[in-house]
Amino acid sequence: MIKLSGIRKTFGKQEVLKGIDLIVEQGDVVAILGPSGSGKTTLLRCINYLERPNEGEVAINQLKVNVKRASKQDIHTLRKKTAMVFQNYNLFKHKTALENVMEGLVIVQKLPKRQARELAVQALEKVGLGGKLDEYPSRLSGGQQQRVGIARALALNPEVILFDEPTSALDPELVGEVLAVIRKIAGEGITMIIVTHEMAFARDVASHVVFMDGGVVVEEGPPHQLFGTPKEERTRQFLKRSIQEWSYSI
Amino acid sequence: MKIDPVFIWTAFVKLLSALPMTLFITAISVGAGLVIGSIIALLRIYKVPVLQHLAAFYVTFIRGTPMLMHLFLVYFGLPALIDAVSGAFGWTFKSSSVPILVFVLIAFSITAGAYLAEVIRSGILAIDKGQLEAAYAIGMKTPQALWRIVFPQAFAVSLPNLSNSLIGMLHGSTLAFTVTAVEIFAEANIVATTNWKYFESFIAAALLYWGITLLIEKAVAVLEKRINVYNRGGVA
Repeated sequence: MIKLSGIRKTFGKQEVLKGIDLIVEQGDVVAILGPSGSGKTTLLRCINYLERPNEGEVAINQLKVNVKRASKQDIHTLRKKTAMVFQNYNLFKHKTALENVMEGLVIVQKLPKRQARELAVQALEKVGLGGKLDEYPSRLSGGQQQRVGIARALALNPEVILFDEPTSALDPELVGEVLAVIRKIAGEGITMIIVTHEMAFARDVASHVVFMDGGVVVEEGPPHQLFGTPKEERTRQFLKRSIQEWSYSI
Repeated sequence: MKIDPVFIWTAFVKLLSALPMTLFITAISVGAGLVIGSIIALLRIYKVPVLQHLAAFYVTFIRGTPMLMHLFLVYFGLPALIDAVSGAFGWTFKSSSVPILVFVLIAFSITAGAYLAEVIRSGILAIDKGQLEAAYAIGMKTPQALWRIVFPQAFAVSLPNLSNSLIGMLHGSTLAFTVTAVEIFAEANIVATTNWKYFESFIAAALLYWGITLLIEKAVAVLEKRINVYNRGGVA
């Protein structure tokens, strides 16, 4: 179980997160929705301390990391329990697809190379890139790069995978292949937190949806409730506008 | 003016005896400069309190003064310092027992360090922060992330500038002749004066420097091609 309590974060004078509480159960697929600037990406980055919150506590099962007492070792342990998929993929450009996935297994988890390679190949096959093991990121399409990013996270067998707008940088044509992969691994019971703008995807795949705006959680609940019968006016407005976006006709 | 073309070749062969000294001075000062430069660059990038300012001062002072000045400051200043410290502690150690070459190497390493600090800093800054974040996210610690992810790519980016610095230090090593270290230039001077054939000797020296430079350029080109395999092709 992942439990965030009272997460606050300010950049300069601007308070981006105003005390967020969130509980994610084992095996949950949580989608975080919200307009740009609502703080959803910052919240995700606070979970693995890529952003250090100003206040609050991040707990993953037994490990509790409070900002006030967080040591380097705590943060390191937290990061070993999590994995992240980035908007811009952030693959290691000087390493092949296989090396990208093996890196964490060999260097962080200290697995023997042969075993790491096996796991990495498995993960890449799972995302449909079994034939691209030795390609460098510069020779892969955006969708393929993001799938390597997912394999890199998956191979570490983390307690939760954090997805930061995994399809936002992709051509519309390539979004589908990445979403299909995420949907597939969601079905395997891995705990996931996904920040996304893909409404239809969130509705179909998530087990729990969180709507954020202005640094607070406005509303959360199962997708049928949040999309079907939202309680808050702000949620309704957002959904209305987002849903209109899909039905543009030219 | 009469030129003795055959003597150019004679001089060239004689200069080869001083080639190892030139290569040694260049290699050590660039090698030490890389270490100094990396430390300085990291101090500045990570904005380490106090030290970042010292690092910035070092870079601007060294780059703001001629290389010959560094050599003289070290060559004349350091022995006095060594003797003063040695005297204060009552040691028998004297600066005169330190080979001159050591002062040359120290001075040139200091010079190279300042220039290379900027080359390395620009190389590191060219690597997008996202990759560092990805390294942290998979659980790497800062030294691992720098060593395995950032430095190899920063090195590849910096190669053209590094070869510039290397060639610059090769040519700068001629200044060692002013403190009697016998490298190619000093040897050329010796050959010139003993044979009264200045022009020929220095043509030979020029050819030798040019030859080494060509080899460096060729080697860097090969290295660049090999190291940049990952940048080739397709969508970036």
